[in-house]
Amino acid sequence: MKGKRFLLWFTLASLLGVALSQQTPFQQRVSQAIQSGGPEFQKSMQQDPDQALCSQYRDKLPAELVPAFLERQRKLIKYPADGRLMGDWKKGEELFTNPRKGNCYACHTGDPREAGAGNMGPGLVGYGARGTSEAVVKYTYDKIYNAWASMPCSLMYRAGYHGILSPEDTAHIVAFLLDPASPVNANLKR
Amino acid sequence: MRKNRLYRVLGLALLGFALGVALTQGQQELDPYKEAERQRELFRQTAGILPGELYAAQGEELFHAKRGPKQVSLEACDFGLGPGKLEGALTQLPRYFADTKRVEDLETRIVSCMVRLQGFKPEEVKRDEVKALVAYVASKSSEMPINVVPRTSQEIAMYNLGRELWYHRAGDRDMNCAICHEAYAGRKVRLSPVRSPRQGLSNEWPAYRFEADKLYTLQDRIAFCYESVGIHPPDYYSEPYIALSMYMLAEATRGKNRFTEMPGFTR
Ligand code: HEC
Ligand code: HEC
Repeated sequence: MKGKRFLLWFTLASLLGVALSQQTPFQQRVSQAIQSGGPEFQKSMQQDPDQALCSQYRDKLPAELVPAFLERQRKLIKYPADGRLMGDWKKGEELFTNPRKGNCYACHTGDPREAGAGNMGPGLVGYGARGTSEAVVKYTYDKIYNAWASMPCSLMYRAGYHGILSPEDTAHIVAFLLDPASPVNANLKR
Repeated sequence: MRKNRLYRVLGLALLGFALGVALTQGQQELDPYKEAERQRELFRQTAGILPGELYAAQGEELFHAKRGPKQVSLEACDFGLGPGKLEGALTQLPRYFADTKRVEDLETRIVSCMVRLQGFKPEEVKRDEVKALVAYVASKSSEMPINVVPRTSQEIAMYNLGRELWYHRAGDRDMNCAICHEAYAGRKVRLSPVRSPRQGLSNEWPAYRFEADKLYTLQDRIAFCYESVGIHPPDYYSEPYIALSMYMLAEATRGKNRFTEMPGFTR
């Protein structure tokens, strides 16, 4: 009994030792500074391993790390239970616009009538010109659910992975971009 | 002193009026720089004074008043150029201070002086007073070149810390400062053009933000960016602000930038 407990503590202590020794003095200094910002800040600043990797390489991953990174991110993508990757464009429009959901206009154009869309991302007016082949639909779905699965450390955030958009939400936004009836594609020749 | 207060009350009354006018002006300008210019002119014409100037006047009064348990003014506060020397003080902050043995930005330095000189307890220091004092001290660095050059080991360490936080990606929006303010500088989030530190990011703070109708210090502005990407902002006066300010202002110095009119006037 005693021996077991000792073993447990020994294991815990050595694990802790490993964790601490993995941090360089500079990293410890950074953690200390983050801690000084208060517990809520500290909590918000916790990173998953790939966020940490992007930070370490200043958002430019070395080529040899890219394939494994993309593979890890692809595994995080979940699809709707019914397998339909294109939903209702009208629902998609609301999600695309809502600052608490997609917030896509912060960085992209979409419906050409929307004033004051940002331009950090490529313009999406007429996105439906690429058609609705399976490949296009899946590419679009994957991009929106997890932008890092095709572009490591992209500015575009991983909305599905973080649970901001559910798989069904994602499918609705796919429809907003690809459905020929969506205002995004109003300027395309039918 | 009296006159000063009267001027302030009068100013605030006019300000309320001006704001009423500003808010009822229907046509919205889509170019954010032109819109700021328009709003500024409206204030000038209707109130005859800019909100930032009112905050600075309030700060001036606080600065010279004998306050706190020790009943002294802040006139002996040293911002790095000698006790009470305010001319250009903001241009060289943050910097290392031997008396507190740490690197401080303008806001933290004001708190240090309120605690050390006037005898306030840190928890008694009112945020609104610090903001008014920041506006006053900053007003003495209007349009001057930024001159933040990390020299001491403490300053260099703070700069490195700031750079690390600058690249720290976190939160459910996967953001860090660099991805917007470096990689995509020159582009726009919605209508707002984003600048890099080399392009002068952080050279207009403290500033009156007409969209919020409030004075924002640089710490407030950084907090606002953290909030907008879903990260709970750090506590005021904590190290992350000092480190990030050090990094941004040192880079702005390398880019040979000046402060704008101080306090600034912006969206
Ligand atoms: C913070 C800025 C930002 C936000 C917010 C954002 N994106 Fe993006 N988006 C980008 C950038 C930058 C790219 C290009 C790099 C990449 O592919 O990741 C991009 C790429 C894309 C692409 C691929 C475009 C192409 O031509 O292949 C699509 C589709 C897209 N975004 C849709 C969306 C949708 C839908 C949303 C809202 C859920 C959204 N984005 C939110 C920045 C953003
Ligand atoms: C999603 C993109 C984004 C991220 C991430 C971001 N910002 Fe900003 N930042 C903006 C936008 C947009 C503005 C508003 C620009 C304007 O209206 O002038 C802004 C404004 C600012 C300003 C004031 C504007 C100026 O020109 O002086 C400062 C300072 C600033 N950000 C610092 C930071 C810091 C520090 C971080 C990291 C903690 C950060 N930002 C993260 C987009 C971003």
